[in-house]
Amino acid sequence: MSLFEELSKDRRVVLYAVVVALAIISIGFFGLKFGLDLEGGSYLQLQLQGAEAQIDVTPEKILEVQFNASSVEKHGQSYVVTVPGIVDPTLADDLGYSGAKIAKGDNSSKITIIANPETIITNFLKKNLDADVQLNVAVAPVRYEIRTNVTRESLNALLAPVGGKVPPGEDAFTLGVSQETVDETKKVLDSKLNRLGLQDIRVRVVDNKYILIDLAGMDVAAAQEVVGKPGKFEIRIQTENNESMHVLYGDAVESVEIPDPRNGGWGVPFVLSEEAATAFQKAAIDSGATKRPEDHYISMYLDKDEIFSAPLAPELASSLQKAPSRSMQATVGGGDAGSVKAKELYIHLREGALPVNVEVVGSGQVSAALGRQFKLQMVIAGLIALMAVAGMVYYRYRERRIVLPMVTTSFFEVVMMLGIWALAGWQLDLASLAGIIMVIGTGVDQLVIITDELMKGGDPAASAAERSIKERAAEAAEKAGVGKVAVATSSKVYLARVSRAFMIILGAAATTAVAMLPLLGMGFGALTGFALIIIIGVILGTVIARPAYGRIIGHILATD
Amino acid sequence: MELEDIVSKYPPKLIMLVPIAIIILALISLGATYLATGSPVKLGIEFTGGTLVTVPSTESEENVTAEFASYPLVDIRNVGSRYMLQFGPMSESQYTQLAKLANANFDSPEIRHSGPIYSKELQVQVIRYLPLSFLLMAIVVFLVFREPMISLLVVICAIADILIAAASMNLTGVQLSLGTVAALLMLIGYSVDTDILLSMRVLKRKGSVDEKIKGAMGTGLMMTGTTIAAVFSLIIMSNFLYLIVPSFTRMDIIADMSTVLIFGLAADIFNTWVTNAQGLRWYLNRPKKAAVRGQKR
Repeated sequence: MSLFEELSKDRRVVLYAVVVALAIISIGFFGLKFGLDLEGGSYLQLQLQGAEAQIDVTPEKILEVQFNASSVEKHGQSYVVTVPGIVDPTLADDLGYSGAKIAKGDNSSKITIIANPETIITNFLKKNLDADVQLNVAVAPVRYEIRTNVTRESLNALLAPVGGKVPPGEDAFTLGVSQETVDETKKVLDSKLNRLGLQDIRVRVVDNKYILIDLAGMDVAAAQEVVGKPGKFEIRIQTENNESMHVLYGDAVESVEIPDPRNGGWGVPFVLSEEAATAFQKAAIDSGATKRPEDHYISMYLDKDEIFSAPLAPELASSLQKAPSRSMQATVGGGDAGSVKAKELYIHLREGALPVNVEVVGSGQVSAALGRQFKLQMVIAGLIALMAVAGMVYYRYRERRIVLPMVTTSFFEVVMMLGIWALAGWQLDLASLAGIIMVIGTGVDQLVIITDELMKGGDPAASAAERSIKERAAEAAEKAGVGKVAVATSSKVYLARVSRAFMIILGAAATTAVAMLPLLGMGFGALTGFALIIIIGVILGTVIARPAYGRIIGHILATD
Repeated sequence: MELEDIVSKYPPKLIMLVPIAIIILALISLGATYLATGSPVKLGIEFTGGTLVTVPSTESEENVTAEFASYPLVDIRNVGSRYMLQFGPMSESQYTQLAKLANANFDSPEIRHSGPIYSKELQVQVIRYLPLSFLLMAIVVFLVFREPMISLLVVICAIADILIAAASMNLTGVQLSLGTVAALLMLIGYSVDTDILLSMRVLKRKGSVDEKIKGAMGTGLMMTGTTIAAVFSLIIMSNFLYLIVPSFTRMDIIADMSTVLIFGLAADIFNTWVTNAQGLRWYLNRPKKAAVRGQKR
């Protein structure tokens, strides 16, 4: 029976052959993707700045300080603020309390604010930090997510004038923003970069705190500009027929709130600056929208793309007749469809500015030419490494029949890894290529262990060394029971040797793999490829390639 | 072979003084650097924060330096028809200007910039993850052998390898970068390989300890030999070839990694076949009950 026929019956060898074939197909079909450092482009590493905190403060005290009030009383769902003298009618709106009612008395004014305590605290933080603040009611006590760079100390200093503080304890203040905020920021970036028509952008989140952006074919200065520059947002109002006129640009939008289902329909609330509110009122009156709101669509554009269009709401139309309004809501409809649309619109509105303060903590660029050079050099290095290893193996065993299977096994291990990378669509970066060469190193180590175990068996090396390789091979073959005499039965000696070899291999492979595990999360993803390719390479090698190699080399040694 | 003689010629306790002395020397080197700089090895720009710009240029060093005169240039090096410039910390807007300047005046420069937040976070990560790697490795080793003393020897050898490799970084001027951290962790894998082979052979086979150690040595030296051959080709490719073939370029990350690995592998030969082997000789050949248990397995 030929070597090929015998081997084709062994399931380990068959599995190995199948996996290698699949890997080659996968590489051919999907192709390999290369990382930024091999393709050229630039990267930005952004830190999302923010913190979550519990806050101990009485809302009445906040209102008292904010309005300079003589007294604040809580009546059910609302607060009544008594302010001496005459109060500026826009003050409540400015502080973020829309819909406040002002009643003028003889020498004092009463302002009625409908709000819950959390809203008052949120408004206070927003106003004083000039940043977005979100309430997290999913935990008890409630926490406030502050989307800018704050410390416990700075927050306490801010709360001191209103007699508030962050309660003591580790849990009361944690740096970092929530999962939702991170996802939202990523979506905004994704949407923005995609809309700009940039190819091959990768936006990744690391540690829930960092966002990494890879921009192919762009230098780092341009990349910073693209990411940092807000989209061009414009609101227009329909005049006659299909004509429309400009109302305001993105800089007039002061803040955008998380979508919420108000009065049965989903909407995205947003706040305009004072001048913008006046401009909006003027445009609504001039276009005639306040009289016949259903004929006058309000449209929003982002970089000339229409992202929202709906008639002016009747209630708003009638209130605009009298006074400008700063708080508005873009309503998109009810139900699940409305919810999805609202989220989309929210992201578009947000493209003017990211939901959370970011700081560029690291960046860089590699040119395409240099990337190609690196790629070429790494391929050459890999081949030289393989040849050097082959030379070492030949030097030791003086047998082509051992060198060839060893080098091909090592080579096919690389093919299997590349196959997985192609299938998964993962990028190969410079570090991953270095990882491949490392796997060649450990892989051959283990093939050497198998070969030596099979050839030397249980004999002490001193006596074995005196015999020639051929004698040892013949002996191994006999013990292996894979020679001409006994094809079907595997001898116990052979199995014992293979299993001993695999004890060593498994131990070594497991240590290499676990030592690499922490690297997966280190360096903001810079070493993820390196660690992953080593871990997967070691597993593939140990589970698929090396058992098959054990069989093949056993047969080869036997058919002498 | 001379190396094999060492295995059995001298009493283990006497030979063990050599690795102990070497580990102490490594610790002195790391300690001295720590006292001088505040960290046991020299930190690269990823850990200190700063900017690295590599520009292709055939002009003189003075001319290139002059181009970047208004930025905090710390170091300039010629790396084969390219200049590598290292800058100290600067403001974000200054960095943007620098990036624009480099892109305008040179054909496709390479830029790497780490801000203070990034580098601080990276330092925290290394301090957190490096011991974690060791811990995981130690757990696996203990699971494999289930013999505290044998496992401890393996772990000690891995630690010794890393310490020596780290000390060698101070000698060769290789800085700690993400690449070299990866290389140090990789050494754990390479180091434990041969130690496991040695301990398995000694524990699971019949015969005298010295004979078994010599038997394992053939396989183990071959293993480390092939790895050194692979790493050596990386060193040549990343670090020296550009000196001969001008179109090739230096690959910093690979050059640094392979330098650390080659020293670590050399240390591994020594630690496996002296430290670990002598430890096993001493442990298994010591008189009375415990030795019998060792032989039985």
